[in-house]
Parts: sequence; C-alpha cells; structure tokens
Amino acid sequence: MNNKYKIIILGITIVIIFILFLRVLNSDKTYQPNQMIGKKIPEFILENLLNKNPKLDSNILSGKDFAVLNIWASWCIPCRIEHPFLMDLKNKNQIDIIGLNYKDESGNAKNFLKKYGNPFSLIGVDKKGEVAIQLGAYGVPETYVLKKGKIIFKHIGPLNEDTVNQILELQNK
Amino acid sequence: MIGEIAHFLALASALGLILVLIFNAFFYSAGRHANQDILSYKLFHQSCLLIFISFGLYIYLAITDDFSISYIANHSNSQLPIFYKITSIWSAHEGSMFLWIVFLTLWSTLFINSLSFQHQLKKGTMLMLTIIILGFLLFLLITSNPFERILPFGVLEGADINPVLQDPALAIHPPLLYLGYVGFVISFSFITAYLFHGDIHYPWEKDIKNWSLIAWIFLTVGITLGSWWAYYELGWGGYWFWDPVENASLMPWLAATALIHSNIVTLKKDKLHSWTALLSIFTFIMSLLGTFLVRSGVLNSVHAFANDPYRGVYILSTILFITFFSLAIFIIKSPKKSLYGEYSFLQKDNFILINNCFLIFFLSVILVGTVYPIILDAISGKSISVGPVYYHTILAPFLFAFLFFMSHGPLISWNKEDKFLQIKNFKIFFPISIAISSVIIFWFFDYKDIILILGLLFSVYLIVSVIFDWISQKKLSLNFGRLVSHLGFGTLIFAIFVNAYLSKEINAAMKVGEEITIQEFVIKFKSINKIKKENYEEVFGNFLVTNKKKQVELTPSIRKYDQPVQFTSETSIKTNFIVDYYFAINLSEFEKDKIMVRFYYKPLMFWIWFSILLIAFGGIYQTFRLRNE
Repeated sequence: MNNKYKIIILGITIVIIFILFLRVLNSDKTYQPNQMIGKKIPEFILENLLNKNPKLDSNILSGKDFAVLNIWASWCIPCRIEHPFLMDLKNKNQIDIIGLNYKDESGNAKNFLKKYGNPFSLIGVDKKGEVAIQLGAYGVPETYVLKKGKIIFKHIGPLNEDTVNQILELQNK
Repeated sequence: MIGEIAHFLALASALGLILVLIFNAFFYSAGRHANQDILSYKLFHQSCLLIFISFGLYIYLAITDDFSISYIANHSNSQLPIFYKITSIWSAHEGSMFLWIVFLTLWSTLFINSLSFQHQLKKGTMLMLTIIILGFLLFLLITSNPFERILPFGVLEGADINPVLQDPALAIHPPLLYLGYVGFVISFSFITAYLFHGDIHYPWEKDIKNWSLIAWIFLTVGITLGSWWAYYELGWGGYWFWDPVENASLMPWLAATALIHSNIVTLKKDKLHSWTALLSIFTFIMSLLGTFLVRSGVLNSVHAFANDPYRGVYILSTILFITFFSLAIFIIKSPKKSLYGEYSFLQKDNFILINNCFLIFFLSVILVGTVYPIILDAISGKSISVGPVYYHTILAPFLFAFLFFMSHGPLISWNKEDKFLQIKNFKIFFPISIAISSVIIFWFFDYKDIILILGLLFSVYLIVSVIFDWISQKKLSLNFGRLVSHLGFGTLIFAIFVNAYLSKEINAAMKVGEEITIQEFVIKFKSINKIKKENYEEVFGNFLVTNKKKQVELTPSIRKYDQPVQFTSETSIKTNFIVDYYFAINLSEFEKDKIMVRFYYKPLMFWIWFSILLIAFGGIYQTFRLRNE
C-alpha cells in the first residue's frame, strides 16, 4: 500500500478516536437521564442500616403513593452539599425519603447522619452497589422519584433548588 | 511571594523551551552550526533546571503550609507529618501532573546530557523532547495550574488528604510509577528523531536499550507497590482487581516488556528493526494513554461531577497529536531492512517474536476491557461491567502457551537450528514438571480444574527450564539477569495460581470473648483496646486464629481520623513463606456490641511479592552489566 493511503487511514483513525473520546469526555452532559423513567423499580431486599427491621423491600416502595429514593454515601462530598435539601424536603414538605446507602462503611454512614441529620424514613444498605446498578444509577448522589413503585423522575448529581422544585411539582400533580 | 516565583519559573521554563523550538526552526536544516547548537542545548538544560527549581519551591510551599495556594489548601493541612505534606503534592490532579512533568524533564535532560556533542541524533531527540515537555507544561499552566492562589487572603487551615492515602507505600508509588511511565519518552523521542533523519545508519537500539530497561524497572516496582498497598490497606484480601487505573499501568508494562525483548533481537541479529521501532513508539503511546485515562477524568466521570472537560480535550488532543505524528513518521520512514533474515522456526529470535505477539495480544485484551466499556457507555448509554472473569478466561489459555515458549526460547541458539536439542530438553522438562505438578495438585488441592492443572504445569515447566538453564551456564554472569527475571516470572505465575485456588475467606460478626469455628479455623476474639494518636484514635481487636496445630495472633484495628471524621480499617497480616493470615475488622452494621470480622487465608502471598522483586532485580542486574560493558 502506498504511504499516502496509510497516513490517510492513520489520520482517519486518529480523528475517530478523538471524536469517540470527546463524546466520553462530554458524556456527563449528553447522558439522558430518562432511561429508567416510566419503568418499575427492580425487585430487591436490603438490610436496614439503623435497625434490624424492617428491611428495605422493593414491595414497600411499590406500595407508596409518592416517595423519593436517594442514593448516598458518607464518603461522597456532593452528598454533603445536597443533604440540607433532603432535610428540607422531609421537614418542610413531609416527603417520604428512602435512602440507599451506597458502598459505605456503616459506622461512617451512621456518623454522617448523626452529624448532618437523618432525612430518611428507611435506609437500605447497598454494600456492593448491586441495587444501584439495577436501578441504572451512575454514581452518588442520585435521586429517583417514585409513584407506586414506578420511576417518574431521576436526577444525577447533588440536588439543588431547581430539582427540589421539580420534585415538589411532581408531588402536587 | 514564593508561590509567584515558582509560578514564574515554570512559565519562564516554558518560554525557554519555546525559544529552543523557534531557534531551531531557523537553523535545524541549515547544516551544522556548532555555536547555535551549543546555545540551544544550554537553553534546553536551563529550561529543565527552572522546572526543577520551581518544583523544589513548590515542595517548600507545601512543607511551610502556604494555604493561600489553592491546591495545597485543598490537599494538605498543618497537622500532617512533613513526609505526607510533601507527598500530598501528588495526591491529586494538578500536583501529580506537575510531578509527571518534572520527571519528564529529568529523564530528558539526563539523556540529552549523556549523548556526545557529535552525536547525530542529539539535536533531533532534544527537539522531540522539547515538543513533548512543552505540550504538557502548557497543559499544566493553562488548564491545571497548581500555583493558583485563593484570593484575597487564603485560608487558615487546609483540608486533609484521604487517610487511606496516608501510607508510605502509596506515597512513593506514584513517583515510581511516573518515573516508569515517563521514562519511555527516551526511546520514543530517540526513535522518532532517528526516523525523521532517515538517511543515517546508526545503531540506535544500543543507545535506548538501557534507558528502556531502567524505565521498565521503575514501572515494575511502581505497579507492585500499588498492588501491595491495595492488598494490605483496602482490606479486601485481594492484590489485583483489574481496575481501569491498574490496567492503565499494566498496558505500558506489557508493551515495554515486548520492547526490551525485541530490542535484544535487533541488537544481536540485526533484525526486527521496524518492529522494535514501532514498539518504542507504542510503549510511550500506552504510557500517554494511561495518563489520559487516569488524568482526564474519563474514568471517574461517574463520580466526579465537577470535572473540567476542557482539560480532557487538551490532553486528548496533545496525546493524539503525538500519536499521529510519530506513527506517520514511522509509516513514511520506517527502517527498510527486511523483517526476517533467513528464516527457520526453531531460532531464538523467532521465539522472542512469538512471545512478543502474545504480549501484544494480552495488551489488546486489556485495552479492549478497559476502554470499550467507557466508549460504549458514552455512545449508547449502556453500562457493561468487565471484571476478572473476562480477563481470566481470555488470558489464561494463551498464558500457558506463552510460558511454554518462554521456557524454550532462551535455550535455543541464536544462529543454528538444533531440533534434537529442543526435543531432548522437552523430554527432560516435561516428565519432571508433570511429576512435580501432579504431586502438588493431588497433595494440596481438593478442587481441580483444567485451568489450575495447566497453570501449575506450565509454571513449573518454566521454573524447571530456568533451573536447567542455570546449571548448564558456562559463564553465569552473562545471563544472570535474564535467569533471575524468568525464574521470578515462573514463581509468580505459580504463586498466583495456588493463591487463587487455595485462598479462604471467613466473614462473621463477633463479640469480645467469643469463639467461632468455621471450616478448619478456630477464631477467638480475645480482647479490645484503644490508643490515641496525633491525628486519629485507634481501636485494636486481639484475635487468636487456630488452624490445626498452628496458632496465630492478629491485631487488626479501626482508626477514627478527626479531620475530617473518617473511619478506616487497618488490616493485620501475619506473613510467612507459606501463607498469609490476614485479618480486617469493621464496625458492625446491625449489632452495636459486635464487630464485623473478615479473615483471609492467603497462601504464597510472600512468593507473589518476592517473585516480582526477582523480576525487577534481574532487570537491575542487567542494567549494571550493560553499563559496565
């Protein structure tokens, strides 16, 4: 093969690699958080973080009219940022928030709640992050709004005022 | 003020390097200009020197707790011991990029200095190095400036580095790894300079041999330290997790291993020039890819929400530019010497080439396993997880063949084909290794499968062949380095297989005074005691493990750091030549009065670490021997 063609092929390959990785680099933005929207949550049973019973059962979640499922961990810094919003959702708006403690040391998790307050009515321990994977979670923190066990809204990253307002709107619908 | 001086020096260095480039753009092709050359070498060395001084000042800033520097405020605090204040510099992005560049300049200036003034490739190599250093230095200064101040006043106290990272092995692991990664810049730039020149006949493979070997040693030790840290610090009982960051360091290692072997063929037989040249380029590209994966935020984009995509784009462009440029030169001007001289299968160079192909195959498997999920995720939004099962199933069968060729390769002559000798060798090695491995398998293993049997058989085969080779050496010092490294590789694979199949794990929740019996182990939780240290509180549990007649006492602990409050679990490991008793504890999830204990029985861990030391030692011996030649 002629050198010219080889170099053209090399150039094209490099450009393709560049485009691919460019997408990877921007994937946080291009990712569509709607994938799980409208689907029912997967079935799981998790140990309770604070008490022996009740365990966090997906059937309990399916029974609730309106609930917020929040994936968090004590080691996750953005979780600290969003924590006041969760506290507000619980205290001011009486929203039922279920916690999913993701790949965490339970001692750290309890300390975290002691220090910043506990907005959760029930916390499941997802030690290996398996349930988070089933939920299609991207990482921590991540928040799902459930209506009778169906995911109607999902937010990746820490909550902020906008998302809190969105959640409140969904509740009033 | 010192921060500004350091920043200024780094900028000045960049300016100096730009001047080197501009200067040479005018004079490079115009024949030999001794004075101009002297000037540009001086400018190059002094620019490098400025970077070292700048980094030295930065270390001073870290030691003296200058928290007006944003990076230092975010990654160090006044309570840290001096050692960790220094190592905090490479605990995050900006600082480790800085260190990376410092090493890049260090290698460059040493190498350029080692070439005589008359050397035909000196200038070309220097220019290649200048371009690369400049690319990364500008990356540092533009997108990840470690000198950035918190204006107007700074803060009084810094944050902390993650206590899990406050560990001697981890603190020196990045520098060693970077020294390895970056070291391949020498063979890379030398080869590209050679190719660029094109019309000269110069034995480049001799000049780069030692440099790539030294970089390879650093990389070997760096990877091992990281793995060793993961083993005793993370408390999961494992030492290799096929994590993308680990893979990122293994890929250049495999390429470099192929390089140092094909380089031997090129030297001895005047063959495989293009292949060796391509491997030199490829090894450095793998190093760059590793840097990109770890440093651009591609890998942890899942967790890091505040990532600056601009950084990623810059580093991606730089790396792809270097890749395109070097491969294009290779395509146009690759050494036109024929790939094969006279060909016969049973020749040493052929065996080395075969195993080179295996190494590149291993590398490709790991490359796909590392990069494919990332790209798939970005394009289709699907997540797949690629774990140990993928790597083990694909790599294992080829590893056996690799071991076989590795056993025979060194025993084959460079020049003549001697079929009978190899058949004779095979007739000796095969029965011995069958006998040894069957004894081992039937004696120690209840559970057997074909992968285990073949793994043990071929690793024993390699060990037997090396011992045979060792005994039949006339002049041991000539091949001592190779023998030690290959022996180390044999024992490493052997230990990995035994470890994988005989490890045991026990999880339980225990009270003080309690005694449990699981499998053949009796574990007694004897007592608990507390110690207060400078920046943490530590709770020790005393456990007595009885295995048949052997008793081992272990004292794992939980540390509570106060700034910020964080718990870490410290493992307790009792090592001997045969087995590691490994203990880790956690606070219990459900029962307040109990502690979660994790006990691992890990056979031959000592041999895994020792084998890698042997591999590295062989390299070190060889380096000194080459120097003395």
